Order: sequence, then structure tokens, then C-alpha cells
Amino acid sequence: MHDHYPSGTVRALLQTDQVTDATRQALTERLTAPARQPTFFTADEFALLRQVTDRLIPQDEARIDLAGGIDERLSANKSDGWRYDVMPADRDAYRQGLAGIDESATLLFGAPFGQLDAAQQDAVLTAVQNGTAPGTGWQTLPAVRFFEELLAETVSNYYSHPLAQEEIGYVGMADVPTWQRIGLNEREDREPLPNA
Amino acid sequence: MTTNAFKLTDTVDAVVIGTGAGGAPLLARLATAGLRVVALEAGKHWNPARDFPTDEKAQDKLFWNDERLSAGNDPLPFGSNNSGTGVGGSTLHYTAYTPRVQPDDLRIHSDFGVGVDWPFGFDQIEPYYDEIEQFLGISGPSPYPWGPPRKKAYALGPLPVNGAGQLMERGCKSLGIKTSTAANAALSAGYYQEGVGHRPACANRGFCQAGCNIGAKASMDVTYIPLALGKGAEIRPESFVTQLVRDARGRITEVVYIRNGQEERQKCHYVFLCAGAIETPRLLLMNGLANSSGQVGRNVMAHPGLQIWGEFDEDIRPYKGIPGAIISEDTHRPTDPNGGSADFVGGYLLQSIGVMPVTYMQQMARGRGLWGPALKQAASAYNHVAGINILGDCLPHEHNFLELSDEKDVRGLPKPRVHFTNGDNEARMTAHADKIMRQIWDAAGARNVWAFPRNAHVIGTCRMGTSGDQSVVNPDGQSFDIPNLYISDNSTFPSALSVNPALTIMAVALRTADRFLTNRNRLDA
Repeated sequence: MHDHYPSGTVRALLQTDQVTDATRQALTERLTAPARQPTFFTADEFALLRQVTDRLIPQDEARIDLAGGIDERLSANKSDGWRYDVMPADRDAYRQGLAGIDESATLLFGAPFGQLDAAQQDAVLTAVQNGTAPGTGWQTLPAVRFFEELLAETVSNYYSHPLAQEEIGYVGMADVPTWQRIGLNEREDREPLPNA
Repeated sequence: MTTNAFKLTDTVDAVVIGTGAGGAPLLARLATAGLRVVALEAGKHWNPARDFPTDEKAQDKLFWNDERLSAGNDPLPFGSNNSGTGVGGSTLHYTAYTPRVQPDDLRIHSDFGVGVDWPFGFDQIEPYYDEIEQFLGISGPSPYPWGPPRKKAYALGPLPVNGAGQLMERGCKSLGIKTSTAANAALSAGYYQEGVGHRPACANRGFCQAGCNIGAKASMDVTYIPLALGKGAEIRPESFVTQLVRDARGRITEVVYIRNGQEERQKCHYVFLCAGAIETPRLLLMNGLANSSGQVGRNVMAHPGLQIWGEFDEDIRPYKGIPGAIISEDTHRPTDPNGGSADFVGGYLLQSIGVMPVTYMQQMARGRGLWGPALKQAASAYNHVAGINILGDCLPHEHNFLELSDEKDVRGLPKPRVHFTNGDNEARMTAHADKIMRQIWDAAGARNVWAFPRNAHVIGTCRMGTSGDQSVVNPDGQSFDIPNLYISDNSTFPSALSVNPALTIMAVALRTADRFLTNRNRLDA
């Protein structure tokens, strides 16, 4: 019951008249966006953020630019409408949080995050998520909330991407025809069967 | 789109601030009565067919994205949850669930000795429910199994039931819990309304919470707003109100707002503040207005809205169909397992929920903390997930309030800070609901069941009541302090109710407009 659509499903759909112009434009822009050069993060911070998001959402090939999406938002100083009152402003939170991850990595394993193996990196991130990561950085930044925000934004960026949506068997973007077969085990022709 | 244009030097009869469920019906009512009215809306006037892709990320433009600070033990999420921006307000992204309140929702203090009663009864709202349901073209069952007998059937039959709804029916049936198709503000058939025109039937696109692109969902921009425009109202989008200017007598004479980076001032006789339970008290507090009671910003309430999710063998594809197809109000005044009273005040309703992918994944990130391969594994079950949730009454608590913070937004205005912590009553209600919903999902065949705790629908902050010592506005929505200031939105609700609030916001808005029109000659004297 774990669905994967065949690769190319969404790209093929976007070529058809089953997708509105507005939807095609939004998704095509996302599909064709070049990898981002950071304008908010420093090169070192951006590299670290990449290493972190690679652990949060492993990708076979680095095809969806998760860190880039975060840099883009922070560069524009955009908000999602709210923030935990215990957290500093988003830009400060990311700067402090990334520094905190490197500090914890060094205290736990004697090297910055980027030099650790995957299991060690996961151990650092788990400690941050659980609020048990060592380091002075977490005295001023609530680690649990930072991790929640980082994870929520990373996940949101990933599953907003048409290729990630294809991966979970979503073709709701085919929005021109109405949906008539909506009950249990009912499928429209434009809803492909998942890969076995 | 807007053809009418009053001059800033004109003294219009009324300025309406906000065009959501509180502002739009009232605007249409005042315009229909021949008043010269201008609505100021912070967001854009969208063209859904052109501007609304089926893409959650692109559609976050419908949310109120100015940052709010969420404090307390249960900090309230904003953005996608609650307020909207754009002509139509949060109705642009509401799920369009439109249950009525039951009469006892308005008497929580009389019945339980806590909370606050409404200053008027169900009979004062019912005629407006009848009117609005017909005007919007609400789809729903006849008869509806709960509440007093209806005078009119819903305008249209119920919408088709999606997978999540079928599963809730299945689970509830085996437990003896009664279910029904829900009342939804989305058309189950094409519908024509004088003054609005033709709207097509719902395409079952499942995207209510990110904007309907065909006008099948009754957001205000495709219903009361065109009616208001046709009756001569003017809508000024992208106008952010900053100030209410008073004369020596204390009456508001001008509304100051920012439009295209420039400050403008509109002279007026009356102001209707309809900016929602956050921006309405924020504007009053920034201006130091209408707060002799000290109640502006107090009594923040938010519905306990626990969601229970599960995975099923069946193919569900939860992006299809009206997200909320099935309802039960059997838990409106629930009992304990032995048949006695439940150990909490008030009650809740149960609703089935479909879900868009980004929303679901983000909830899994926040609610389950999943990442790495565990997240990918859970995400790949997306086409097999379905949810149920509750909406329950919330008592007003001293510790839940809105204040202005020292931190400034991009306009240089103080950000609101909202303190919210569920009380014992909300915790007991949520525990009761958690148990029932897990039983329903178990009976329906769910696996990997998980709970997403949340509160939805911010209510309160400018309480309506009969005493100016304890309330901000009187039962007509009129400020006790400033006679030509009215409030019409969810901020005035004295209690949170146990239903989705939009329909009742509209009903109270029309009542406020009618009370104003009736009393206006006396007020002007």
C-alpha cells in the first residue's frame, strides 16, 4: 500500500490539457528552477544546511534544492504568518541553530557536522530534536522548537515539488476535468496505478 | 472589477474594514439599503481562474502572513490556520463546513455555570441561517439529524462522499454513532443567485483550504462581494488600516490606511471593524480605543481540534472530494461510558477530513517528528490515509489573551502576541475525543493511527455583552465607548461554540447590519 508513481508521470501530465495554465506555470517554474546560490546564508552556513537537509530528507540524487528554498525565503524576509514566541526571529534562529548543530557535533564527536559519518550526523540531529544536544548555543535557542521549524520547512519545501508529489502518488494537479470517481478504491483514468 | 469610487473628501456613510465572513455580508446589506459604503481590504482582489493554481505553496498567498507571536503552553499556529488576506478574507481558504450552532451552544453558562452566555438566543440567529444558506447555496442533507427542526431544507442536496467520509461512516456505524453528510458551502449543482449570477457545481478538486478556482465554494468574493458591488459599494483592496481618527466628541471621523505605500484618509459617519479576532483587537489596542472595559484582547478562545489519522488498505487518494464530507453531532453533549455526564463542559462535533499532500506532510513533521527514511515510508502511504477531527467548545480563560509586543512588523506596527494554553476542560474534552476517534478508526480498519493535537478558529478578544464593564460591544455589535464604531467578526463571540464559526459569523454580521439600519435614525439624531 505504499505508492510510487512511475517516473515522468507529472512531467507528462503537465504537457496535457488536463492542467490549468495557472497550475502548469507554478509547477513548471519549480521543476526548472536552477540550484540556488545563497544570498542570505554564508557559503559555509549553506553547505552545512545542505548536509542537514540531506539527512532530514535523503534523496537519491540531489534534485530538489531544499536548502535553497530556505535561503530564498529568508533572503526575502518572508514569514509563514507566525512564530513561537520563545524563538528569535527566523533569520537569527537559522543562524544560531546551524552554529548550534556544529557546536553539538564537535562536543559529541570531536568534529564539525560535515565531517561526521551519516550515523553520527543522525545522532546529532536526534539530540537536537530531543532537546538533549550539548552546547552553549542551545541555552539561548530552544533546540526542540528550532528542530521542529527546520523540519517543517524542509518537509514543506520537499513535498511542494512535483517530483516529490509524484513519488507519493499524487496527481491532484490535473485540475481541468472534474473528479467524479472519489470514493474508496475508485480511480480516474488520469490517476495512474502505482509502481508495484 | 470595482466600478464604484467614492472620493476621499466624500464623507461616506460607512467604512467597512475587512471583507471576510464578518465584513462582506454586512457590506452587501448596507449597500442594499442605499448607504454609501467603502470596504478596505488589506489583501488583493484575486481572479481565481487566473490566479489560483492547484498548488499549495503558491496558494500560501491567501494566508495572513504578517508574523504573529504565539505564546503559552499551546501556542496557536497562524498563517494557514485562521485569518486570510484578499477580498473574501479567510473564506478564501476555509474548508466550507457550515454547520449551525445548536441553541444550547449560546447558553453555556446557564447550563454549566461556567463560561458566558450569548446576549441573545437562537431565535435571533435562525432567520439569518435560513437566508444565508439559500443565498450561498449550501449543500446538505434533509432532514439534518441534529438541532431543532429546520424551517427550510438546504438549498442543494449533499455533496458526494469521498473515501475519508466512507470510512468514518463505516467506523461509526459499527459503534452505533450516527453520522450524516455534512452541510458545506460548496455547490453540489450549478446555482443561480440574483445579484451574483451563475456558479458551477463543485469539481471535487478537494482544494478548499487553498482556494477554489471555479467559484463553486461560497467564499465571500464570489457571493456577498459581487452582491455588494452591484448595489453600489466600493471595495478598496490592498488598503491596510492603521488608524481611526476621532473628533472632540469622541466619534470616529476618518479611517487612515496605507495603499500603494501612501497614506490615505477616508471620511465617514460609521466604521464597521471586521478584521477578525487578531487584527480587530490589534487595531483597537494600537489606537487606544474602545477599551474602557479592559476586555479588548481578552478571552482568546480556540476550538480543540484534535485530528486522528490512520492508514487503510483501501485506495483513498485523500485530495479528492470536499474535504469534510461526513459529520456527527452525537458528541454535542456527550456521556461517559456508563451513560452519565461527561467530565467536561460543552461538547464537540466529529468530522471526516481529506487532506492535501503538503499540509499532511507538514503535520507529520510537526506532530510525529518524522524525518529520514521513516518520513519517506510514512509519506508513501499518502494515498491510503484518512482523518477525522473534532471541533469543540473552548472556555474563556484569564491566561489566554492578545497583547501588543515590542517587536515591530515591516510597517513599523507592533506585532500581536497571542497567549494560549488549553485549560482542564479542553484537555478533558480532547481526551474524550481521542478515545472515541481511535475507536472509530480501529473499527474502520485503520493502521498506524496517530494523533495531531491542534486548536483551530481563534475566537473572542472583543466580547459582546450587555454590560460595558465586562464587554467591548453591546448585543448589536456597537462599541460601548464609541457610538459610531461597530465590530462584526469572530472577535465578538462571547463563547467559542462547538461548530465551525463562518456561517455564524455571517449570520451575526447580517443581524448587526439590520440592527444598525433599524436604529440608525435614532443614532444620527
